[in-house]
Amino acid sequence: MGAGGNGAGGGGAGGAIAAAEDGGSKAMNGEEIIKIENLWKVYEMGNLEVKALRGVNLRVCRGEFVAIMGASGSGKSTMMNILGCLDRPTAGQYFLEGMEIGSYDDNTLSLVRNRMVGFVFQAFNLIPRTSALKNVELPMVYGKMSMSRRRQRAAELLESVGLGERSGHMPNELSGGQKQRVAIARALANRPPVILADEPTGNLDSRATEEIMEIFSRLHTVEKNTIILVTHEQDIADCTERVITFRDGEIVEDRRRA
Amino acid sequence: MLLLENIKLALAAIRGNKMRSFLTMLGIIIGVGAVIAIVSIGNGAKSLTDDLFASYGKNKAYIYLMGDPDGGVVTQEDFFTEADLDMLKERFPDALAYGALSQFQSSNVQIGKVKGRLQMFGAGGGYQRFRAMEMIRGRMISEEDVRHARDLIVIPQEAAQRFFGAGDALGKLIPVTINQEIREFAVLGVYRREKSIFDSLAAGDSFETYVPYTALSTQSVEMDLHIAEGYAVGTTLNSMTDYLSRLKRKPEGYYIGTSVEAEQTMIDGVLGSLSTAIGAIAAISLLVGGVGIMNIMLVSVTERTREIGIRKSLGAKTGDILLQFLVEAMILSAIGGLIGTGIGIGAASVGLSFAGASVQVDPRVVLTAVGFSAGVGMFFGLYPARKAAKLDPIEALRYE
Ligand SMILES: Nc1ncnc2c1ncn2[C@@H]1O[C@H](COP(=O)(O)OP(=O)(O)OP(=O)(O)O)[C@@H](O)[C@H]1O
Ligand SMILES: [Mg+2]
Repeated sequence: MGAGGNGAGGGGAGGAIAAAEDGGSKAMNGEEIIKIENLWKVYEMGNLEVKALRGVNLRVCRGEFVAIMGASGSGKSTMMNILGCLDRPTAGQYFLEGMEIGSYDDNTLSLVRNRMVGFVFQAFNLIPRTSALKNVELPMVYGKMSMSRRRQRAAELLESVGLGERSGHMPNELSGGQKQRVAIARALANRPPVILADEPTGNLDSRATEEIMEIFSRLHTVEKNTIILVTHEQDIADCTERVITFRDGEIVEDRRRA
Repeated sequence: MLLLENIKLALAAIRGNKMRSFLTMLGIIIGVGAVIAIVSIGNGAKSLTDDLFASYGKNKAYIYLMGDPDGGVVTQEDFFTEADLDMLKERFPDALAYGALSQFQSSNVQIGKVKGRLQMFGAGGGYQRFRAMEMIRGRMISEEDVRHARDLIVIPQEAAQRFFGAGDALGKLIPVTINQEIREFAVLGVYRREKSIFDSLAAGDSFETYVPYTALSTQSVEMDLHIAEGYAVGTTLNSMTDYLSRLKRKPEGYYIGTSVEAEQTMIDGVLGSLSTAIGAIAAISLLVGGVGIMNIMLVSVTERTREIGIRKSLGAKTGDILLQFLVEAMILSAIGGLIGTGIGIGAASVGLSFAGASVQVDPRVVLTAVGFSAGVGMFFGLYPARKAAKLDPIEALRYE
């Protein structure tokens, strides 16, 4: 494992990440996988300060399926980007599998993104002019998996999202729903314990939305993945077991359903 | 190892943008092409002149009349005579292996219906010891022939064939015109010589023949010499020149000595400084080519900012992105170097074919050119690649 963590966090990080490699996402209900304490994100824009997150506290247990809702500009994406280790908070602490992410350097964060989280974007974010198969392979390329193994796994993943026949297609030859299914397959490549999806159906019609939500439900019930999903639609939130509502950078409601 | 993956990526990126890639490589192509062409032509020219010098031998030297460096007339008294040559031979019995007054005449010749032109070089006894020639009939000119200024001529095989056909040429008379006077020279020998490129270039319809130099004239403004093996050509020639100057009571610089060795050194020097100049031009064109690569890589990094963001979001490390763009820049310029090498070799072989020579493709030169281009690509790709590698993932993802 090339990039060790820095300082005290290093050893622990390595261990947890290595564990994740061989199916560390088995559900153990009640165990905390995400813990956020007093998290702030402040954007400095000239002399204007935008407080996108104002002291958020959040705990998510392994295997939970969580929806995040809230008005536009309430800080949902900001929160997701920090959870996905794409962005760093201005203040506060974020523990993922017990590792304190804030203490990590860039290359360690790359490793965490590679092994611990699968991110699904609203805009799909497939690499253009690169086949569906190659797109799905990418996290495994950066994870240094051997060519034959990752090719096989990528094919299986595409099969599992119903795109076995489309593996050679370029992104511009796929519909929005198909692109998002490729993106989900890619997010699952390294079997990360946490799946983050920021408005994954935001650009899709109702049919495609249904297909995508079926996949997420299956990941939740069958694979026991931990899933956090941002949405503006109540029907989608209804598929989940817990709905968190943001307003002006704060959690104003956190409702669990039976 | 991600290297293979990166090479594939780079090739795909280059193929996906063929025209732009080609234009980007153009600077490198031209730079490398020019260098390869000129180096190949230079090497070809060098081996031609080396062959030529080798065929005369490095010990060949001349002393010639220059005249007063400060101006003033030259009189016939200043010319070298047989007496001067004898004095020189007496003074340097061991160091001087061969000496003759330089003589040259050319004449149109007609025997029966057959016409031709003879280049007649004056030779002293023992000339054949210093210039490779194979006697296939008769013999070469001897001391005796020179002393008696006999009207004898040694001709090449081709001339014998031309004028006398299958018959024996020995003893046949050839009427030549020397200073408006027709004289008959008897064929003394027939020789054969491997033709050099210069021979075939210069010869045309004429034949290189040898006559006793005394048969042409008894005085000359130049002496042909050979310095004996084991004597330093430069210093020996200097003392001979000094001796002749004193003999003829002339100041230093009135007579000048030069040798094949000195000429070769001079030509090598010219070729050397030429290649230094070419090296400088090459460096500049490669610099320009490298800046072109850097420019396009910067554009490419900007265009692909989102892609970089996606890759980082999937776990690409700084080094992974750095390697990706560095490999792309290196492959781009290495391909340019390869194309340039091909074009350069093509141009050189066209150029050299006019001189009747061919290009020798040295694989090391090709490797060096491609390797050097890749190095240029690496150097100029480093900045754009670092720029790409340092992008913040979230900023890169937001870029539109
Ligand atoms: N890069 C940035 N620079 C400055 N301000 C930003 C930046 N990104 C987000 N913001 C601000 O932070 C606040 C939260 O934005 P965020 O994208 O998290 O909202 P959101 O809840 O995801 O909204 P939406 O539902 O429209 O996606 C907004 O006021 C936004 O203007
Ligand atoms: Mg958002």
